Amino acid sequence: MALSLSPSLLGGVSFALVASLGFAVQAQSTTPPAAQVQPAQAPSQPALAEIPALQATAPSADAPDPSLSPECRVPGSKLYTLAKLKAVKKALREHRAVQVLTIGSNSGGLGTAATYPVRLEDALTRSLPDIEVTVESRGVSGEIAFGAAERLRNQVAEIEPDLVVWQVGGNDALARVDIEEFSQSLAETVAWIKSHGIDVVLVDPQYTASLAKDDYYRQFVLAIQKVAEREQVPLVQRYEAMRYLATRAISALKGAPAQSGAGFRLADLGYRCMAEHVTRAITVSLLQPDIAGPAIPPPAH
Amino acid sequence: MREPNAVDFWRGIALITIFINHIPGNFFQNYTYSQYGISDAAELFVFLAGWSIGIATRGRDGTPEPALRTVLRLLSRMVEVYRAQLVITALALAMLAGAALYLDNPLLVEWHNAGPIFSDPIQATVGWVTLLHQLGFFNILPLYVVLLGLAPAFVLLARVHLGLSIGISVLLYAVSLVFEINIPSWPMEGHWFFNPFCWQLLLVLGFAAHEWRRGSGRFVVWRRRLMPLGIVIVIVGAILSWFNLRPDPLAVPEPRLLFIFDKSYLSPARLVHFLGVLLAFQAVFGLVQPRARWLTEQLAGLGRNSLAVFSVGSVASLGAQLIRFWTGGGFATDVFVVGCGLASLSFTAWFVEWRSRSPRPSSAA
Repeated sequence: MALSLSPSLLGGVSFALVASLGFAVQAQSTTPPAAQVQPAQAPSQPALAEIPALQATAPSADAPDPSLSPECRVPGSKLYTLAKLKAVKKALREHRAVQVLTIGSNSGGLGTAATYPVRLEDALTRSLPDIEVTVESRGVSGEIAFGAAERLRNQVAEIEPDLVVWQVGGNDALARVDIEEFSQSLAETVAWIKSHGIDVVLVDPQYTASLAKDDYYRQFVLAIQKVAEREQVPLVQRYEAMRYLATRAISALKGAPAQSGAGFRLADLGYRCMAEHVTRAITVSLLQPDIAGPAIPPPAH
Repeated sequence: MREPNAVDFWRGIALITIFINHIPGNFFQNYTYSQYGISDAAELFVFLAGWSIGIATRGRDGTPEPALRTVLRLLSRMVEVYRAQLVITALALAMLAGAALYLDNPLLVEWHNAGPIFSDPIQATVGWVTLLHQLGFFNILPLYVVLLGLAPAFVLLARVHLGLSIGISVLLYAVSLVFEINIPSWPMEGHWFFNPFCWQLLLVLGFAAHEWRRGSGRFVVWRRRLMPLGIVIVIVGAILSWFNLRPDPLAVPEPRLLFIFDKSYLSPARLVHFLGVLLAFQAVFGLVQPRARWLTEQLAGLGRNSLAVFSVGSVASLGAQLIRFWTGGGFATDVFVVGCGLASLSFTAWFVEWRSRSPRPSSAA
């Protein structure tokens, strides 16, 4: 697309652009799983057999996940907490199309040809090759605690998807709404979506260095983790994943002077990686066995 | 300058309410009337815009002005509103980008749907200039632009017969609700926050109310008789809002927009609630005016200059949000930002009127 030809854009994000050329979700990992996220929850063979279309293996929890493209590589323990995705699994078993609704920003990174929903559709289609996946996206302006949750319900009702992938909390965190009020509203909305047999994957807000010491913001991210755990929905820990990527970038630049605009480049990388990260969280969640039991708890921070 | 009147007074209240509600999370938000019902100040603003069109398209003696003049008047107002929307959106984008640079915080350029303008500028620039991409809270003026574009048709139809105008308006509203017709947003998927095909009904009702009011005494009589009904509706709305009771949008029958509480499509429940609010509070201006003249003058001053005040209010509310984010918020910050904001709204109203009274510097040169 013409955008990627802009010299100014190229200048700012060239390293990420080059990396994005290699963007691909490697559907079939050649690395055998060294350790499961939680050994007790290791996907059993029957669970895999039920959904033969699924092209994924559970990764190691602590080593960078090799199925992710190099610039997005984060260990599973820093990338997601898992829970069952019953509606998607059911659709896979019935070999019918899976409809996904993404809520929030549709940015796929600066100057990239494909938006996040397009990349997500692409990545999910690679991971579920026998299944038709369609992704619709909606932005929600406003705060979950003040009316946006209501609009989100109406959007879910309009589209009636199998799965909602919700980048949650950005607006509320910037508006510094009461965390308790936000959590309650989020929990109610997630419970409502699930009550209609629709799966939910939450994506928590981005990490940026200038907010690393902001207590409110960290509490806010933690509150989302708690809701995901309580409501038993998978969570893409974008905050943790980006913090990991930021640390890696700093150690790679050891000795070099701090670059200006590093936060902006990290945010850009976060968007580039989001489709992959979300896809990974979905496919690994689909490997969760159907036997009753609590979802895998989030790692302690 | 015209004396304070009920329309300007209520428009002033709507402007202040919108300003405060556009600083989410602030202390004073809990005390705006939007928190105590299922409709809010946006309905009031659009209804009063319709009423004002009724006033503006008649001469001082009450005779309708020539059709061509009405069309040109409304279209020139449309251009003015469009220009204001471009200016405030450009300012908002610069404020978000400036704050993101200053605070080294890339999250700020994503706030309020601004993301695509910075990450995908080629498409999004076309989007925001054509009003297809709207920033969060900067979505009322695009509605108003389309409504002013539709208004000449309704005003001229009403000159044939007011019922014709209302009938077509109700039909357009009903069809849009049943078939979920709205203007799409672009480049992001989705629709306009305020659906003009539905919200036009409020504009036409505001216009019709003005026409009835000047045409017959029966309107005023019935308005008074229906006041208790309005009070009942307001109480029911307060209960629904207080206990957060609302229909489940996945459980209602089709066409679901008829049954749910939806702001974008001005669903019937919101419309009925708003009409109830109008009936319930119709006497307030008459009661307040003799007792608190300073207050009514201030509010009417805001209402008389609503476009300028709204524009400054939009930018000021974003500024207030950025300050709240930067400082971490809190009661003292809220008092400060809301106080400064209200002062800037008042100053804007005064300044616009001062400028229209004073000779322009360019004419002296």
